[in-house]
Amino acid sequence: MSVPSKGNAIDKFKQAFQEEAREILVDLESALLELNENRGDKELVGRAFRALHTIKGSGAMFGFDELAAFTHNLESAFDEVRSGRLTVTSELVDLSLAALDQIKAMLEEDAGRAVANSNASNEILVKLRHFTGKPEAHPTEAPPSPALAPSPASTGVARGWKIHFGPGPDLMRNGTNPLLLLRELKQMGSLRITASMAAVPPIGELDPERCYLGWDMVLTTSAPCEAIRDVFIFVEDCCELAIEPDSLQVSAPVTEAPKVPEEKRTTYGRRAYDNPDNVSSIRVPAAKLDQFVNLVGELVTVQARLGEIATRREDPDVVAVSEEIERLTSALRENSMSIRMLPIRATFERFRRLIHDLARDLHKVVELTIEGADTELDKTVIDQLNDPLMHLIRNSMDHGIESPEGRLAAGKPPTATIHLSARHSGASVLIGVTDDGSGIDAEAVRARAMEKGLVAGDAQLTEAEIFSFILAPGFSTARQVTDVSGRGVGMDVVRRSVEALRGTIDIASKPGTGTSVNLRLPLTMAIIDGLLVRIGHAYFVLPLATSLGCIELTRQDVEKANGKHVAEVQGEIIPYIRLRDYFNIHTERPEREQIMVAETEEGRFGFVVDQVLGDHQTVIKNLGRFYQHIQVISGATILGNGSVALILDPHRLVQDAIRTMSLGPHVDLRASGLRPHGLAA
Amino acid sequence: MPVTLDQNEALCLIRLEGDIDIASAIELKKLLIEALASGKEMRVDLERVIELDLTALQLFWAAEREARGKGTGFRLAGRVPEVIAVALGDAGFEKFPIPMDTK
Repeated sequence: MSVPSKGNAIDKFKQAFQEEAREILVDLESALLELNENRGDKELVGRAFRALHTIKGSGAMFGFDELAAFTHNLESAFDEVRSGRLTVTSELVDLSLAALDQIKAMLEEDAGRAVANSNASNEILVKLRHFTGKPEAHPTEAPPSPALAPSPASTGVARGWKIHFGPGPDLMRNGTNPLLLLRELKQMGSLRITASMAAVPPIGELDPERCYLGWDMVLTTSAPCEAIRDVFIFVEDCCELAIEPDSLQVSAPVTEAPKVPEEKRTTYGRRAYDNPDNVSSIRVPAAKLDQFVNLVGELVTVQARLGEIATRREDPDVVAVSEEIERLTSALRENSMSIRMLPIRATFERFRRLIHDLARDLHKVVELTIEGADTELDKTVIDQLNDPLMHLIRNSMDHGIESPEGRLAAGKPPTATIHLSARHSGASVLIGVTDDGSGIDAEAVRARAMEKGLVAGDAQLTEAEIFSFILAPGFSTARQVTDVSGRGVGMDVVRRSVEALRGTIDIASKPGTGTSVNLRLPLTMAIIDGLLVRIGHAYFVLPLATSLGCIELTRQDVEKANGKHVAEVQGEIIPYIRLRDYFNIHTERPEREQIMVAETEEGRFGFVVDQVLGDHQTVIKNLGRFYQHIQVISGATILGNGSVALILDPHRLVQDAIRTMSLGPHVDLRASGLRPHGLAA
Repeated sequence: MPVTLDQNEALCLIRLEGDIDIASAIELKKLLIEALASGKEMRVDLERVIELDLTALQLFWAAEREARGKGTGFRLAGRVPEVIAVALGDAGFEKFPIPMDTK
């Protein structure tokens, strides 16, 4: 009889630590950046200190000794700040940020992803020591574990402390060994300890991975109460902890006594396993979630087949079951999609650091404002949004925003603003990057486009069209290539990433007042609600979110319009695109067609089809690289009868039609090799 | 195999080896319950244990209580290694939850 290998268990804890540490580092980074703005904020200093202490402590526990030792030095510096012996300066913040990057590198090194540079760590440590004024002979030989760390701010007088420690139910499962904490306490002074076994249940009911023991201790030490508390700092949330002075053991006048009862109350109140927050979320690997959504996708496809069979058989029993399953799959699908939705906050917040660093390097003063950080997007979309946003921000920082002197001369406040925003709009989400810099010189762009042969000299172009040249590969009006941008690569990356997400880019700019780039992205990349339509023998899906309704289009209606592609819908004249003509489908046109009315960026448009078949839960399948250039089709889906329907992108269809200024035949599906099921040859 | 159970007609012997920690806790509980259910005299051998954590200590404590309730003998088959003795002290235990086999 064997047990699961111990190595695996430890790797799992290590991974959990790495994940946790990454999150803590994000928080630490934002704390440091905020600290740079409010240098006197004790709360922020405390936040940074706690983050460092947790990383050091957990790091040492899971064998990241080098990381723990390095972090210890930074933690000491913040301890000095906490006690008022060191003041926060922008140099200290920059150095701390550099140290944070180093910790990140060390963290990933173990995962085999990057190589942390030990020279860099030493350099940071030397600078840190310069700050704290503490010469240490061997910077890398700092205590490898919290147990050996010197207790911060020792008061010099030994006194007794009564400590009660009751681990929460999940403490050991989370990888904490309470014994190590007890040993750490033992290092601080003389410790009397009694274990209480009262809570250990009969063996049959005992959960072997839970710690049922509790401890009452008397610790005589010269370290202050905070130092004792710091031992438990990274388990504080899942344990019961009370620390109070031992009245029998006071060996010095109690000066802090009045403060302590309050301390005790708050710690009892902090039993986080009573706190619903502790159980309201769990961590799941993204790959498992993707697999889940894929399975739901398959289920939706199979359900469509069942629906098809049920309808054909006309068996009321089968139909009833099929309808029930349809309702459930639909709910399951919505549920699984909502699990994948994440607020964009973390992505936006990450750029605070980029802007801080770039502003320093470029000698500019820039403030970041964020709007709609709680807007939720599909995880896959969020993952791919980082690069384009980074390039847009770099561009704004380098080309858009002027130096403080330049801004003052132009009559603007010296501090520039970059505004990141997100909001939902139908089935899309709009992401905006706006700056109040110098704007884009449309004439310069036009001149450069002519130079590069992208446009004829006499072409009449709208401003939006001119700005769209910026997105062309290798296009840059920058006279100088800087470290930050100017090579004309960035905007091409933006265009590619956004196109890969089936999104669109819209640039607006006014000289002197700033530039605004808006990305319109689909909310999700996996399953959508669609409307299934038929033209001849071919099936298409229109996204339901953009659809407003459908009406009949008779021969008489067409004749009334005198050959123009317009129809009257609810008192409004709207233009339409006859998809049969657009896709060159040459089957007999039915007497009565139907117009699907959709809301697009260009206003309301109609799409004329032979027949609207009804709702369809659409699992989006990519068409693959070969068909990537066909922008009006955003993917394909498999229907219940096994045939394939193409998913149309109404925005692109309309844009394409407007561009050619003709609503007639355009994309020849046969010429492009794309052939939906049943399309007449 | 860090946790094994040997049985003969009169005796159940649980032999532990290496690191006995949370990773082996479920297996150890299973074996203890199996041994208790057999109703035979129980022995546990810790001589080759390198490290023993709290999950094991509380399991032994619960198993010993259960054995005593049933009137089954539950004893240590040999000496307690030094590292475990130290861990016991650090964890605030006065003595090992299972008495020594003095026979």
